[in-house]
Amino acid sequence: MINDVNLNYLSPEIAMVALAIIIILGDLVIKNRQLLTLITFAGLLVPVMLTINLWGTTGESFNGALVVDQFALFFKFLVMFAVFIVILSSQDYLHRFTRYTGEYYGLILLSAAGMMLVAGTRELISMYLALELTTFSIVALAAFLKTKESTESAIKYLVLSAVTSAVMLYGIVLVFGLTGSTHFHGIAEWIGNSNVSSTSLILDSGTLGDGAIGFIGFLFILAGFGFKVATVPFHMWVPDVYEGAPTPITAYLSVASKAAGFAILLRVLYEVFQPIQPDWQLLIAVLAVISMFTGNLLAIVQSNIKRLLGYSTIAHAGYILIGVTVGNTLGQSGVLFYLAVYTITNLGAFASVIVISNLTNSEKTSDFIGIGRVAIFPAIVLTIALISLTGAPPTAGFIGKVYLFNAAVQSDYTWLAIVGVVNSVISAYYYWKVIRIMYQSSGASTDTSGDPNGNRVSASMNISLGIALVGILILGIAPDWILGFVENAVAIVQTTYPTA
Amino acid sequence: MVTQTSLNYVPVVVAAIVSGTVLSLLFILAAVVAPKRRTMISAIPYESGIPPKGSTWKQINLRYYLFAVFFLVFDIEAVFLFPWALTYLGIGAIAFFEMVIFLGILFLGLVYAWKKGVLKWT
Repeated sequence: MINDVNLNYLSPEIAMVALAIIIILGDLVIKNRQLLTLITFAGLLVPVMLTINLWGTTGESFNGALVVDQFALFFKFLVMFAVFIVILSSQDYLHRFTRYTGEYYGLILLSAAGMMLVAGTRELISMYLALELTTFSIVALAAFLKTKESTESAIKYLVLSAVTSAVMLYGIVLVFGLTGSTHFHGIAEWIGNSNVSSTSLILDSGTLGDGAIGFIGFLFILAGFGFKVATVPFHMWVPDVYEGAPTPITAYLSVASKAAGFAILLRVLYEVFQPIQPDWQLLIAVLAVISMFTGNLLAIVQSNIKRLLGYSTIAHAGYILIGVTVGNTLGQSGVLFYLAVYTITNLGAFASVIVISNLTNSEKTSDFIGIGRVAIFPAIVLTIALISLTGAPPTAGFIGKVYLFNAAVQSDYTWLAIVGVVNSVISAYYYWKVIRIMYQSSGASTDTSGDPNGNRVSASMNISLGIALVGILILGIAPDWILGFVENAVAIVQTTYPTA
Repeated sequence: MVTQTSLNYVPVVVAAIVSGTVLSLLFILAAVVAPKRRTMISAIPYESGIPPKGSTWKQINLRYYLFAVFFLVFDIEAVFLFPWALTYLGIGAIAFFEMVIFLGILFLGLVYAWKKGVLKWT
């Protein structure tokens, strides 16, 4: 069994972990923080190059536990891009914890390695381990500020993720007990052969049928994913964790963790549970609807910008679930495209929130009054990002939503598309309220203008803001190239590979 | 399919019943047969043979926690080493290098902790 090992397929993750170890150890001898950051950026090129090197290959290794295909590689790029932007925009935040710079970078990289593994796994145990690797590092990162709120957010995230992990493990056990395989293709084969259909899922004649056991297992696994992507019944942790964690980590959590969650969700739904799609399609649709409404309606009453963005991510998980529900090629590529759009938009929004809250020394939206004239560039980026999150042209969010809603309409889920549009309108209210506050000329002068060079925006922060701004606009105006990317990527899912 | 799956659990159930019966039998026997002599000495909590000193409800230095974590790490290492040693000859060179990498990462962790002053007791 040991001979089915192709370390080449694992090379990006190995490079990522090695880089993390180097950074953590380097922190012991290198006292210069700038140098450490430079090493991180230079080292980040290695996994990127190794991923580019794998581009175009498909195959599996470790007896099918690890797979390399366009789908996995797409998410690996997305995660590494998120890491890049997060570390760039951390530069204006690191002064709050000067002591543990190396550990901060190292933990981000370790959790990125976990997310990259999540995207490329086709086996339940490896999937579980990769998800845990992702979570543990983020728990430590959430506690980095060492304030009461920060610790609270870490504890909440740890406890809730432990509970959902346990539920997911139970689901994995049930599915394994029924099908005798932890490999995705093995489970899919069993489901295909067993004629399990929606009728046998009911508790017929008082006994639990195989289908019912399998479906309960499926639901438990789904609960685990629901926690990761923050859909509604499993969203309780989001506002508190987002508010308490350091802002760059909140950004990282909201994009990379969610992308990894959706990667594995898509893969499990369409590689494993495709045969029983009629059974779960409506369930996912309902999750999408309640996520959108809960996220958007609760975001309206938020006064803290991080909480507001937290509820907005719940709503966005709902939008993305529309694409997951529909599930044809259009829907799946819509999910991937929307995740790319959402990643760059949310990173831009959080980066500008870091700058603005550094200036105002507050995370309250009401304290953002008149900030549009003090911090011109961050305010512009936040404005564009919020417009993109609403889904208005000419930003990336518009194309993403058109893509998703179009997929829904094309597969007779018009009502879902209508709910999505209604929710976009609701969301415009609270997103644009923030924009209005930023450009409001208040009678009271903002005390921030008296301290112009107290909080200077660093060059790396400006770069990350610039990348986000350009990215949002490019994806909104000329999205063709990445659309080709994602359509290519989802063509791989649902096909079975020849075993290596 | 259901009955087949359930039949696989029969040995488990039998084992549970047998071990449960034997265990409870032992306890009952001990309670009934064994002579009971409560003296001061027999009521003392067992602390590896040394007479206990002071209250057990006292604060313990937090540094012990770090040592406990370290102990755990290297204990787990030993757990991995035993099956590795058994299958080592059958697998060959790759097993050797895998274990070297594993031990290497653990060693780097030790270096890290050392440098951070975790092992210093002052």
